[in-house]
Amino acid sequence: MERYARGGLPWLAPGIAFLLLIDLFPLAYAVVISLYSWWLVRPSDTRLVGLGNYAGLVTDPQLAHDTAVSAVFMAGAVSLELVAGLFLAVVFARRARIFDLVRPVILLPLFITPVVSGTMWRLMFHPDLGIVNYYLRRIGIAGPPWLSDPGLAMVALVLLDAWRTIPFMFLVLHAGIVSQPHEFFEAAMVDGAGSWQTFWHITLPLLRYIMVVAVLIRAMDAFREFDIFYVVTSGGPGTATETIQMLNYRIFGFGRVGLASALSTLTLVLVAAMSLALLRLLGRERTA
Amino acid sequence: MRRSARAAGPALLAAVVLAWTLIPLVWMLSASVKTELQLYLRPPRWLVVPPVWDAYRQVLFQVPFAQYFANSLVVAAGTTAGAMVLGALAAYGFSRFAFRGAATIRFLILMTRMVPRIALVVPYFLMMLRLGLLDTYTGLILAYVSFALPFTIWLMIGFFDEVPRDVEEAAFVDGCSRYRAFRDVVLPLAAPGLVVTGIFAFLLSWNEFLFALILSGVRSKTLPVVIAGFNTDVGPLYNEMSAAAVLVMIPTVILTLVLQRHVVRGLTLGAVKG
Repeated sequence: MERYARGGLPWLAPGIAFLLLIDLFPLAYAVVISLYSWWLVRPSDTRLVGLGNYAGLVTDPQLAHDTAVSAVFMAGAVSLELVAGLFLAVVFARRARIFDLVRPVILLPLFITPVVSGTMWRLMFHPDLGIVNYYLRRIGIAGPPWLSDPGLAMVALVLLDAWRTIPFMFLVLHAGIVSQPHEFFEAAMVDGAGSWQTFWHITLPLLRYIMVVAVLIRAMDAFREFDIFYVVTSGGPGTATETIQMLNYRIFGFGRVGLASALSTLTLVLVAAMSLALLRLLGRERTA
Repeated sequence: MRRSARAAGPALLAAVVLAWTLIPLVWMLSASVKTELQLYLRPPRWLVVPPVWDAYRQVLFQVPFAQYFANSLVVAAGTTAGAMVLGALAAYGFSRFAFRGAATIRFLILMTRMVPRIALVVPYFLMMLRLGLLDTYTGLILAYVSFALPFTIWLMIGFFDEVPRDVEEAAFVDGCSRYRAFRDVVLPLAAPGLVVTGIFAFLLSWNEFLFALILSGVRSKTLPVVIAGFNTDVGPLYNEMSAAAVLVMIPTVILTLVLQRHVVRGLTLGAVKG
């Protein structure tokens, strides 16, 4: 290793220069733009307003509403995915044959274009041509108009997100469980521990670190989700399912780039704060 | 007896999981080979005999679908190539050289994954506008390479670490320069892993929607934007939307099956290895 101590820089330079230029510079640029009142339609009216855009945003009830929508989606989707993924991972943990059978299929939702998955959901939940309400009626339940009901539209979106990413939780946690040392379980069995006790006192504590990582990744992705909202509800009915991301897109659509950048910057700060909090939690987990 | 009962639970659960996963897919497939009238038939027809190919005909010949398919392919290929070249160089640097701050830089590169992409929408739009890159392949490719590069680097570090140093040492003894050893010895040995990395980059570009929506236009529009566009003023054209969605889905299904065993590693970008 020592021999190679120098000379790494030329290899890294192109990639890092690219990331600085195409990732970091635009982020900094966005912060600058956010200090201006800048409407694309009337470029001559552009003027410096300092924190004016931010002041306008934080007092806007729409932002409070959309933040709540984002939070509800994130909490609903991630907790559902964690519970379902953990359950599947535990059931299939020592069943390699069945796991190998289902794996190729459950991988599919992870990589199918989100816009395509959104299309499927619109077909499933459509009041006339959808199958969800048809089969609900068969068992005696009058199916509601899912996507035009404020609360149920959110339920449909959470279910879609669960359809797409339970496999992620399942696979990651499964990998975690399979790599746990056998001796612990054998020792527990010898001591006469039941399967529930084994799960609660051995599997789960050993899995904690991986669970926190998986939740962190999923929470960030759910918070940033845009595609399925755009395709399935477009933030509707009204603005019932409008997330921060959708609001940002709407403001950008009006050509209000200063305001949109201010919201982006707020989002960035929020995400950074959440990441740091979760990372700190992770650091504690690791030393614990 | 007890044994078969114990196996029945997981087998039943597996069936439920398969049904939950496949039903939306099959319903969309079935919608794509129906007439509009057949879509509304109750009870729903899962199987249509004979299948009606009108929606596919409409999508393939009425909408310039081939053009959009080509757009998606060119952008994805460009993204893959760009991310692979930059990523391989950087990953090799991290894998073979020890220097101060390496761990920090690696970590910061991974953290760019956390940046909400919407934060980049306005600056990208304005930059591309000034550079004249709106509605061009180049504009989209630049954006996507920056999204793909962090995980490309992380995955490739792992794959390069698996190539034994002795092989390179032997090449040096034979008088190879470091670059030639990298190109002629290390790259071929790491090839299977690089293919996996490339597929992830390709899928990222193939599936991306937000930036395609903002940066592309009539000339460079990619497939996700086309599908979302089936939402017309007179209501969505469900058959055609389904047919287009099926066509977009086919490459992703094939590539996913190729990836299989590498999925966990790719999805967490090495984070689970922790």
